[in-house]
Amino acid sequence: MNKPLPLWMRPWVRITFAVVVLIFLGAAAGGLYLTQTVPEQPIQFPHNFHVGSGIPCMYCHPGAQWGPTAGLPTTQKCLGCHQQVEKRTPEIEKLLNYAANGQSIPWVPVAIQPDFVQFNHRPHVAAGVECATCHGDLTKMTVAEPQRGQNMGWCLECHQKQGPEKWERLSDCALCHY
Amino acid sequence: MAEEQYPEKWGMVIDQDICTGCQACVTACSMENNIPFTGEEEVAYGRGMHWLRIQRYWEGEYPEVSPTHTPMMCQQCGHAPCEPVCPVFATVHSESESINLQVYNRCIGTRYCANNCPYIARSFNWFDYEVPAPMNYYLNPSVTVRRRGVMEKCTFCVQRIYAGQETAKKEGRALRDGDVVPACAQACPVDAIIFGDLTDPNSRVSQAARSERGYTQLEELGTAPRVTYLKGGGTYGG
Amino acid sequence: MSEIISRRNFLKLAGLGATAAVLTGCGPAARYVTRNPYYDMPEYTQTGLSTYFATTCRECPAGCGLIMRTFEGRAIKAEGNPAHPVNGGKLCSRGLTGVQGLYNPDRFKSAVQRPQRGDPAVEPVEWDAALQVVKDALNGPAGEVAFLLGLNQDHLADLVTQLAETIGAPAPLRYGALGMFEGRATLVKAAEQVFGQAVFPYFDIAGADLVVSFGANFLEAWLSPVAYSRAYGRFRRAEPLKKRGYLVSFEARRSLTSGSADEWYPVVPGSEGLLAAALGKLLSESSGFSAVMDYAAVDVQAACAAAGIEPEKLEALAQLIARAERPLFLPGGNALGHADGLAAAVNILALNAGRGNFGVPGGVYLTTSPAGTATLTDLRGLVDRMRTGQVSTLFIHGCNPVFELPPTLGFTQALANVKTVVSFASFPDETALQADYVLPDHTPLEGWGYQYTLAGVDRPVLSGAQPVVVPLYETRATADMLLSAGKLPYKDEVEFIQSVLEDKVGQPDANISGTDLPSLWAKYLQAGGWWLAAPSLSAPEKNFADGASTAQPQAAGSGQFHLMTYPTLFGDGSGANRPWLQETPDPATTVMWNSWVEINPKTAEELGLHDDDIVKVRSEAGEVEAVVYLYPAIRPDTVAIPFGQGHTALGRWAERRGCNPAELLKVTMNEAGDLAFGDTLVTITPTGKRRPIARAESRVGVYGDH
Repeated sequence: MNKPLPLWMRPWVRITFAVVVLIFLGAAAGGLYLTQTVPEQPIQFPHNFHVGSGIPCMYCHPGAQWGPTAGLPTTQKCLGCHQQVEKRTPEIEKLLNYAANGQSIPWVPVAIQPDFVQFNHRPHVAAGVECATCHGDLTKMTVAEPQRGQNMGWCLECHQKQGPEKWERLSDCALCHY
Repeated sequence: MAEEQYPEKWGMVIDQDICTGCQACVTACSMENNIPFTGEEEVAYGRGMHWLRIQRYWEGEYPEVSPTHTPMMCQQCGHAPCEPVCPVFATVHSESESINLQVYNRCIGTRYCANNCPYIARSFNWFDYEVPAPMNYYLNPSVTVRRRGVMEKCTFCVQRIYAGQETAKKEGRALRDGDVVPACAQACPVDAIIFGDLTDPNSRVSQAARSERGYTQLEELGTAPRVTYLKGGGTYGG
Repeated sequence: MSEIISRRNFLKLAGLGATAAVLTGCGPAARYVTRNPYYDMPEYTQTGLSTYFATTCRECPAGCGLIMRTFEGRAIKAEGNPAHPVNGGKLCSRGLTGVQGLYNPDRFKSAVQRPQRGDPAVEPVEWDAALQVVKDALNGPAGEVAFLLGLNQDHLADLVTQLAETIGAPAPLRYGALGMFEGRATLVKAAEQVFGQAVFPYFDIAGADLVVSFGANFLEAWLSPVAYSRAYGRFRRAEPLKKRGYLVSFEARRSLTSGSADEWYPVVPGSEGLLAAALGKLLSESSGFSAVMDYAAVDVQAACAAAGIEPEKLEALAQLIARAERPLFLPGGNALGHADGLAAAVNILALNAGRGNFGVPGGVYLTTSPAGTATLTDLRGLVDRMRTGQVSTLFIHGCNPVFELPPTLGFTQALANVKTVVSFASFPDETALQADYVLPDHTPLEGWGYQYTLAGVDRPVLSGAQPVVVPLYETRATADMLLSAGKLPYKDEVEFIQSVLEDKVGQPDANISGTDLPSLWAKYLQAGGWWLAAPSLSAPEKNFADGASTAQPQAAGSGQFHLMTYPTLFGDGSGANRPWLQETPDPATTVMWNSWVEINPKTAEELGLHDDDIVKVRSEAGEVEAVVYLYPAIRPDTVAIPFGQGHTALGRWAERRGCNPAELLKVTMNEAGDLAFGDTLVTITPTGKRRPIARAESRVGVYGDH
């Protein structure tokens, strides 16, 4: 051998590199997958039943009509109905346990945005956007599920449909990022 | 001409004759905008994060030596030198509010913008500065907590601009003069800082900006700053 | 390596890094957080919206009104109460950082007992046991109990005064460094001499067109700085039909206030009273001035020589004053903290009297709230009683005497002879370190109360305080602790506060009115206090001694310097544990996180000193090491050290920073019994050491040293 192979052409370098890349890609894919999974909730809350029985979304999430966050119901709010309702399932039993101990329910919100996004429900609700547009069809879910592809492009796509006269404001970075 | 080229909206007037240099605005800004404190070592090294500082210059020789106080923050230039140099468009101009924006999630920390800012109004997060629990409780939920490697600067309290617009909209009325007050102007004990809408000729800020004492910082650079300073000094009865 | 990593490979590696970031940053653990909504949401909150509470800032005795923004049970930001007559929506740095006190990680989290005084190690103690300590003391021999309170004229001061009266204990002493460095007791004494009432005078700066300040740093610390700053803003602003106010200041260094002055005269510390007399003499020769004192003994030339000011300048000033429509003369702390401070205060008030300034717009009024400020003589009495073992239990609240008092007074040594020291401090300060029990009170933002406003407002104000958040830790209201001994007929703190408010029921002409206590109470909490709707102060009698005092300032010998000590944003020093107050630059020097000694550059050159050199500052009473700051606007024969730093306790942000100038003060009183801190003479010795201090101004020299 008068000339050694350059480092990057040697088989062991290439194999190691490929393995490392595969590990990272696999882990990344796994990580991305995990972000899309539904988190464990303290109570397997059946949205489908509640929405199906005609309770408006804003009965439990009233913040959406007046402010930035929709909010999660307090234990007392659940109890408002469930004091009267027969305890049929172990899930309601859990609720009553929380209530009996004077504890709040440690809900895990799934419809969340990163810290650098300042989202405000009120203008969206005032503009007539249906809850289901962003949160999915809750009549088909028990616990809330994270919706796919809620990124900036998705926001802007809808903002763009509001007409060219509103576009200047609705495409402003500072509208959401400050 | 300049007006047409660089449409203006929000503006500020700082009366240097009234400003005492008491620093209340500096503290108010920091408490409102989740600005981290960096500690003696870092701040001595020039890594303090103040969005607003008061430049105290001495003029004259003892005993005729006298200080002038110039509160200095991002001038929200209509023709901003920071904007064209950002490679990732993290420093952009707001079309609707006519202010300079810093989009934290886009910023990759090249610091080109700070380098190009003639007012030295930008500060950079060199580290993740710790706010030990429970002190993080007071962090303002309306303002992003920035992390290491991100540039930041005065935003004219854009969160308050939007909050003011929200309230007005909620109440079904137009925005009134005085609905939006940034933290510095709100705290200023002598009321030397006036903030408002420059497109309204009758707003307090427009009236104050027309004063014959008015000037803008580094006017000759053509940056079209939105902050007007009113020159101080006078004689008895003047 | 560099040639092996091509651009393409670099991008690949960067991609890997990005993948790692995805792995660590966006996993489910980072994405989801648990929220604990309220178990039962309070009625006054709306999900996602801030709730605002009206309360009172209790960081200093001024009593500014606050609107606290709270969000989901957390205090977010202090904002001024726009309706409040003291601050009208404005705030100072100190008030703005109040939340850093509330959420300070160094707070006492429960009642503790200290096995060894001076040792930071403490043991938790049950509140019941702690209560027993308080009860035992209050039920024991009344003469052996002593109360030491801060300067705040609040509900606790009233309650303790009542309690002491009921059990027959000596009345509580209210003392603090702010009062010491402003000569508050001297000012009150002067008011008593002139007006026959021991209350603070109120100066209507906004209504004046010319203000002559004799060492009153009213924009930074004097009495009610936010109120006086607001007034100054209106005074200075030229408006149609209103002239721009003109400010003249006599002070040895250009402080924040003198810095804003149109004319500044660096005079020898202690010569302010003499200058007032000289001005009086010059003015009495002009029209529009009716001398209330005999100025015959005053020699203007000699006075000017002693004060270090050209007589022509004083004459020009006298002519300016004669021309002015409503001149106002302020007796500040730097004029009063001298051996002849009381006479100086009277001399300055006499100038106001000569211009007919009492009880007119742009003049001097008398406030109605009780002053009740103890003098250092009173405090020395307490120290003597402690030393001789006459005090078995000492209750301390709202002040830090071990830090604030000159060590030569011997407070710390006298503590050794007190059997039980009970501190109600929220923070581990120097005095709490010497206490056997620390029974932490709620911090001001967690507790109830009221506060009489000090001297910055033209009407009586009972500023209201209410909790804006639930108490963070196992703390208890000191008022409740003291009431639990059953000596007073009140169930708890709130009942006591309501008993004071009861007098206001049905009273017209106030900002709020109510025909019964519950309705008045609700409005009181909503408005942030009770005050009269219109200005209502007056200034009744006046009585001046026959002759103007011509006491001479103390002369500095060769190699000696006058020492000026002045309070800053840190107030009485308790602000030093607020990190944002530390990082807020000092207005005059832009120094952060440290203290310094201001020296005129000429003097420094003679002494061979440069910026950031460490010097030994030595007085008769003691010595400190301080970092030199070349300050162009200070007399060459004067050096100045700010008060507030130099803590040996008080938590992570306050400890081991700068020096405490109180260590240099010798205990000499003026006629009013106040500390003559301005008469301190010091020598400066270089140590050869250097320590760069952080400043916001030019950083030349600091980069290189770090």
